[in-house]
Amino acid sequence: MTVPTIQTAGLTKGYGDICALKPLDLQVAEGEWLSVMGHSGSGKSTLMNLVGGLDRPSGGSLSVGGQDLSALSEDGLARFRREFVGIIFQQHHLVPYLSAVENVMLSQYFHSVPDEAEARLALERVGLGHRLKNRPGELSGGEQQRVCIARAIINSPKLLLGDEPTGNLDHKSTVMVLELLKELRAEDRFTVVLVTHNEEVAAWGDRTIYLDDGVLVREERLRS
Amino acid sequence: MNRRRWLIKLLLAALAHRTGRTLLLLSVLAMASSLATALGVVSLSMGKRVSEEVRKYGANLVVVPAAARLEVGSGGLNFGAISDPAYLDQGRVEKALASGGLKAERSFHLRGALRMKDADVLVEGVNFADVRRLFPWWQLRGGWPGPGETVVGSDLAQRLKLKAGDTVELTGTAQTLKLKVSGVVVTGGEEDDLFFLALPELQGALGLPGQLTEVRLLVSAEGDTLKDKAAALQPLLPDAKVREVRQIARTSEGLLAKVKLLMTLVTAVVLISAGSSVTGTMSTTVLERSREIGLMKAIGGTRWEVLLIFCGEALLLGVVGGVVGYLLGSGIAVFITRTVFSAAPEFIPWLSAVSLAVSLFLALLGSVGPMISVFKLDPVRSLRGE
Amino acid sequence: MFAAKLLPQLFAFFGIAAVVLRGYPERRRPLAVSVGAGFAVGAAVAFFLFRNFPGSFPFELIRTVVGASFFLFWGIAVTALYRSSERALPDASGRSSRLDAVAAPVIALGAAVTAGALAACRFSGNDAPLGPVPALVLLLVIGALLAAAGFFLEAKLPEALTVSRAGTLGGVVALLLLSSSYLVRLDLFSPLSMKVMKGCHDFVHQFMESVLIPDHLFVRPQIWGYIGILFSKEVGFWGGMVIWFTPFLLVAIAVRFELLPSVGHIRQGAQRRKLLAAAIRQRRMKLIVPLLSLVLMAGAAYRSSFPDVEYWDPKPIPVAADPSGDVFIPRKGGEVDLSDGKLHKYLLKGGAREVRFFVMLTPTGKLTVDLDACAICKPDGYGQGEGSVICYYCKTLIPLETVGKPGGCNPVPVAFSEKPDGVHINGVTLVNAWSTTVQSTGAKKEGGK
Repeated sequence: MTVPTIQTAGLTKGYGDICALKPLDLQVAEGEWLSVMGHSGSGKSTLMNLVGGLDRPSGGSLSVGGQDLSALSEDGLARFRREFVGIIFQQHHLVPYLSAVENVMLSQYFHSVPDEAEARLALERVGLGHRLKNRPGELSGGEQQRVCIARAIINSPKLLLGDEPTGNLDHKSTVMVLELLKELRAEDRFTVVLVTHNEEVAAWGDRTIYLDDGVLVREERLRS
Repeated sequence: MNRRRWLIKLLLAALAHRTGRTLLLLSVLAMASSLATALGVVSLSMGKRVSEEVRKYGANLVVVPAAARLEVGSGGLNFGAISDPAYLDQGRVEKALASGGLKAERSFHLRGALRMKDADVLVEGVNFADVRRLFPWWQLRGGWPGPGETVVGSDLAQRLKLKAGDTVELTGTAQTLKLKVSGVVVTGGEEDDLFFLALPELQGALGLPGQLTEVRLLVSAEGDTLKDKAAALQPLLPDAKVREVRQIARTSEGLLAKVKLLMTLVTAVVLISAGSSVTGTMSTTVLERSREIGLMKAIGGTRWEVLLIFCGEALLLGVVGGVVGYLLGSGIAVFITRTVFSAAPEFIPWLSAVSLAVSLFLALLGSVGPMISVFKLDPVRSLRGE
Repeated sequence: MFAAKLLPQLFAFFGIAAVVLRGYPERRRPLAVSVGAGFAVGAAVAFFLFRNFPGSFPFELIRTVVGASFFLFWGIAVTALYRSSERALPDASGRSSRLDAVAAPVIALGAAVTAGALAACRFSGNDAPLGPVPALVLLLVIGALLAAAGFFLEAKLPEALTVSRAGTLGGVVALLLLSSSYLVRLDLFSPLSMKVMKGCHDFVHQFMESVLIPDHLFVRPQIWGYIGILFSKEVGFWGGMVIWFTPFLLVAIAVRFELLPSVGHIRQGAQRRKLLAAAIRQRRMKLIVPLLSLVLMAGAAYRSSFPDVEYWDPKPIPVAADPSGDVFIPRKGGEVDLSDGKLHKYLLKGGAREVRFFVMLTPTGKLTVDLDACAICKPDGYGQGEGSVICYYCKTLIPLETVGKPGGCNPVPVAFSEKPDGVHINGVTLVNAWSTTVQSTGAKKEGGK
């Protein structure tokens, strides 16, 4: 049996007095597509930040890809993020003064060395071969999100995290982005964790968990 | 692509994105470092010039009649006034010097105006033997004068279209002299505007036998002892003033000091305000770019790597500001010295290092606070837009 | 006080231990032992030499060894650069590891023996606080302790900090040179720059002058000016600097141009880039030791130019010749006592010329009168150190016994007659000796004026 990509036991996170995440036991297998559903404030973003190494748990154990994240230093977490995780944001968060290809190269820069040819290929993979030199301001929402995906997968992460990746997109773009993610996953075999409040988006996954007020209330397996 | 090249490209792109703010920072830094450069250029080259003037004067003690004022300096550093008609008695001065036991080279001067055709010209009577010994920088085109001959200052010669071999007629209160020009003298100083003739001849022409307007002494002593010697000589010459040449140079030194003080104050004010405006601008920038910083951290940049990017920006600004500041500062220095001292400053290349240092120091010091917040910034919060 | 004087040698030894261990990490334990043992052997050999060969022979020997190691390193550095320019990957085959099996112990032992001898040199002078046996014991203990410290502290250095083969040798050589530069008698930089200057000088003389006559048609005055530069002191200094630092730069360049591993066969871009980045980082870390060596060499050159020794150098006493041209120096006059074995400097003013000369009693019991200048160098004069006088210009030490003998950088002796009341010298002889000496040294080497 393979080691699960994400394994938590009694994972909690509190901000001051507020408990954002009640003790949570979760396992995500390698290559699985997990959708996390819940209302805003239900703790789903908190879970994503913890799993992505952006934040530290208040209690419990959290291991991602076999690494115990609570044991890592601040810089160790950064190194974990750049080698292991690709993140897609709702607001894209592209650097406004860099072109599409340069935005992808920024990720390469922090990971190791920039390689423009490879960054171009990644953009071609997400279907943006014709918009390499455009800045984010000149791209549509769907295109920006595809740059974001190219940036997230450029370092061959084992885990792709999406924080409402389609939240700002119309229906057509949403389907395109999710289709793209599906294709990429089929090729690169990374694990996907998507946080969403959209049932339709969640339906693309293998499994959906429902969080409410920091508690896992329901789990639904769609396919295995 | 090379990591370093990519970093520089990234920095340039970021700076170019905020053109206005970049230009503002650059001009602030350039302004501050240019003032520092100008201060350096002015004080260094003018200080040197003042001390050169003093050295050029040759003599280090001057005896003048008590009522008279001194005229000294040359070119742009001419701060004296025409002396009132008051005279020293040659015999008494010699006696005083002898009894004072002062070992000194001396040169007697009598200055007065003689009429040439229908204009007054300034004439100085000297002993040419003394001049040759005490003022070795006299450059004479032609020969040293014999009896009945005169030497013309180069500027005056040009104005009057005189050259060696010409004859001039100078009329004094007592008698008229017909003199042959034996040579033209160039010193680069006030001498260039005078006629020189043998002391007794001028005393005769002016009807002032045995009278002098100035005695220059070259006392072989330095520093404080010179002051002592002057003080010792003074009581022996009650109706005269004994002064150190340094004292005279002090006038120009005083002006220089005032200009320097003013520039120092301005520079200090500009440095402080530049530093705070760098801090302000950098803080705003960092605040505005907090999402970007958060993103860089989220996609795997360590705190140090992200800090390096922002420090690199400050560094880049500092270097460019320093270079521009040096060029600008040299220009300001030229302007100041031209208008205040009417002299050209020196070109001092090593001040570019000072200018660069000032600019870099300001840029880095000003961004310490913002850099700390860059370092500490939490990616989760900044990405959420808090 | 004395312990502080020994510190540079001990620091150098400790550094050598650390560099060698880092350079050959697969043989750490045996190397640490051999480094410690080598230090002991070196110290023992040095004491043996001091005992059996009084005089300068032991110092000459040690200096030769250090100098030879430097020139050996020159060869290695050039080879390293050549190998890196072959654009071949650093081979990980058996050949280099077999070479290592020989090179590692040789370098470790050689360096440690030399370092031990250098440390022992500190105990050779008369001011040493310990006799030879306690000093040797002390050095054995210190050597063992430092080797152990090197062994344990080297393990604490970050793992990423690696050294290339040539870099290891470079670090060792730089530390040895630094150590020897703290011992005035073993200094190498000044003799090196002196040699460069002389070589350049001779070259210009023998080659250029036979080819070019001063009013040659094509040689304009400016060109003569440039040729004149070849005669100046700066040539010696800068030439020495070039020879001094170049091998380290060569090693650094060789590291910089080391080929990165080929990554073409790796399909995944991220992995490929990661490998590249790691290789680049490793290459950068390999630069640290050569660059540190450069700093050490700069320290050694500085030490050599400004040695931390105070020389007895009295202010010259002005003297005058009587009408018959005789310069008389009383045996005892004022605070001066000619027979106290110290340097006594005098200044004779003859017209516009000034002649500096000195009178001293050599250990052989004879008075000697010499110019404060030698036949080779610019007349910077001499100072008196322990058992020798030093030429300020070329930093050559001249044993007191040989002062008064002509030749080389010895002070130029002047004929004199010794009377019971003092020393009589012919003023004209003095002035002539000075002007002929200084004309051929002082004037010529200052830009060929």
